[in-house]
Amino acid sequence: MRALVIDDSRAMRRIVSGTLEGFGYETRQAGHGQEALDVLHEGWLPELCTIDWNMPVMDGLQFVSAVRANPGWRAVTLMMVTSEGEQSQIVRALAAGAHEYVLKPFTADAIRDKLALLGLLPQEVAL
Amino acid sequence: MTAPVITQLLDEATVQEIADQAWSALVGEDEVLVPVPGELGPDTRSSWVEIVGPWSGTVVLTCDRDTAEELTRALLREHAPAELEPEDVDDALGELANVVGGNVKAVLPGPSFLGLPEVGPAPRVTSPADTCRVDALWRGRPLTISVQGTPAPDADPAPSYENGVPL
Amino acid sequence: MTLTATGFDWVRQLVHRESAIVLAPGKEYLVEARLLPIARQLGLPDVGRFVDSVRTRPSPESTRRIVEALTTNETSWFRDGDPFTALTSTVLPALLAARNPGERLQIWSAACSSGQEAYTIAMLLQDAMPDAGSRVSITATDISREMVERTRAGRFSQLEVNRGLPAPMLVRHFSRVGTEWEVTPTLRRMVTASECNLAAPLPRMGPFDVVYLRNVLIYFDLPTKQAILRRVRALMRPDGWLFLGAAETTLGVDDCWERVVIGRSSAYRPLKGA
Repeated sequence: MRALVIDDSRAMRRIVSGTLEGFGYETRQAGHGQEALDVLHEGWLPELCTIDWNMPVMDGLQFVSAVRANPGWRAVTLMMVTSEGEQSQIVRALAAGAHEYVLKPFTADAIRDKLALLGLLPQEVAL
Repeated sequence: MTAPVITQLLDEATVQEIADQAWSALVGEDEVLVPVPGELGPDTRSSWVEIVGPWSGTVVLTCDRDTAEELTRALLREHAPAELEPEDVDDALGELANVVGGNVKAVLPGPSFLGLPEVGPAPRVTSPADTCRVDALWRGRPLTISVQGTPAPDADPAPSYENGVPL
Repeated sequence: MTLTATGFDWVRQLVHRESAIVLAPGKEYLVEARLLPIARQLGLPDVGRFVDSVRTRPSPESTRRIVEALTTNETSWFRDGDPFTALTSTVLPALLAARNPGERLQIWSAACSSGQEAYTIAMLLQDAMPDAGSRVSITATDISREMVERTRAGRFSQLEVNRGLPAPMLVRHFSRVGTEWEVTPTLRRMVTASECNLAAPLPRMGPFDVVYLRNVLIYFDLPTKQAILRRVRALMRPDGWLFLGAAETTLGVDDCWERVVIGRSSAYRPLKGA
């Protein structure tokens, strides 16, 4: 499986990518929404995008709306991974078309549990 | 109507709890912040994010430069590059401020907006009465988390250099 | 590090035996971090001392807490979702057809820990039937008073709601209170929490239509397992449903149950005339 990890922090990109690779994912990274859209336009369609909210150039919510507006990208699962923690923000992201929402700070276990919910955990991974 | 000051909205225990969760989840499961003040050295680094809303201000994380490096390594764990570049350290410190700041914002009255992280010398405290500060030790090294208000534009601004220049 | 090599090895074997999870060498720090709160709670200075005391005098309660602290799925909401899928797909429709509209459905979450299982059931039922609040009672029990109080409060940290709780359910059934998330009053009213030691005679409860007794039996020896299953059966309706953990079965323990496969999980039902 493939995942596109979108976050303006390279530390966070490394952590999320490393976690997903541990679950058997092939990953690519993008520093903001526009860069991520470029990857999709290039034809690299992942099963999963993990998406930070606050980023320069194009934020996560705009990215979610852009992906949802393209019927060719319907199979991509969109999971917010962000420190935006108000209930109203989670509602906004889900309304825009995000499938799941992970609150920062998170542990690798939290990512794994969400992937299991989404049916996107390629292999059973021990502790 | 006067804007609320941070101490009416948030106490040190809440900031400490938010930081504890960030540390245990991101820095490492057995990483704790001991709420004991320590003396910061001469060479510090700060990261911060701005919150704009019914309460406006900045959430600032400050520690010694070598603490910042150690924090970065702890955060990245096995994903850390062999050689840490200064950008790696600034980035990791900025992300910690973003995580703590986002969670601080979520307990404040909304709607509020969160800015992108910035890194540099600590922004100065403009209003001690509108500041909620936690001093802690991580692995015995001091660091501070300060939630500090920004004076409203109409409220008696401290003269900056530009508007201090006579016309 | 206060944990000795012998202590770590003992914990490793225990966790492997009970949960099939492998704690690789190098995970000593994890054991230390996860067990420290339990050690402190028991008034012991460190994890080494705590593990040594359990090692020399094992009790089901202590070993259960060690395994729970080190395995992650117990604190997760839906990770092992099959027994919950079975509830809404099969068990609930069967019960609604068999009961009078005025009859309350009674569900027991045994060894409820901090209440995730009880509230998961409450959320699912609330979403499946609008009158769940007046038609369903959920009894949540645990041996630990602290866990019972946590269940009663229905408050969870951000790290807890991050674990396997679908975001749409989080926004529908919780509200944020400071740094924590609290289940809605409707759900809290459906759940009654109390202390209960499964290894001793049970208080008067039920009769239950559904019992969730997951990842509990594994910690007990055979005679205790048999006694628990017998006592649980006595509190169940004759056409009730029992859910055990994925690694547990009544087979070879107590032959008074019939195993029913529901999707990817199985339930156990009291055998007629047994």
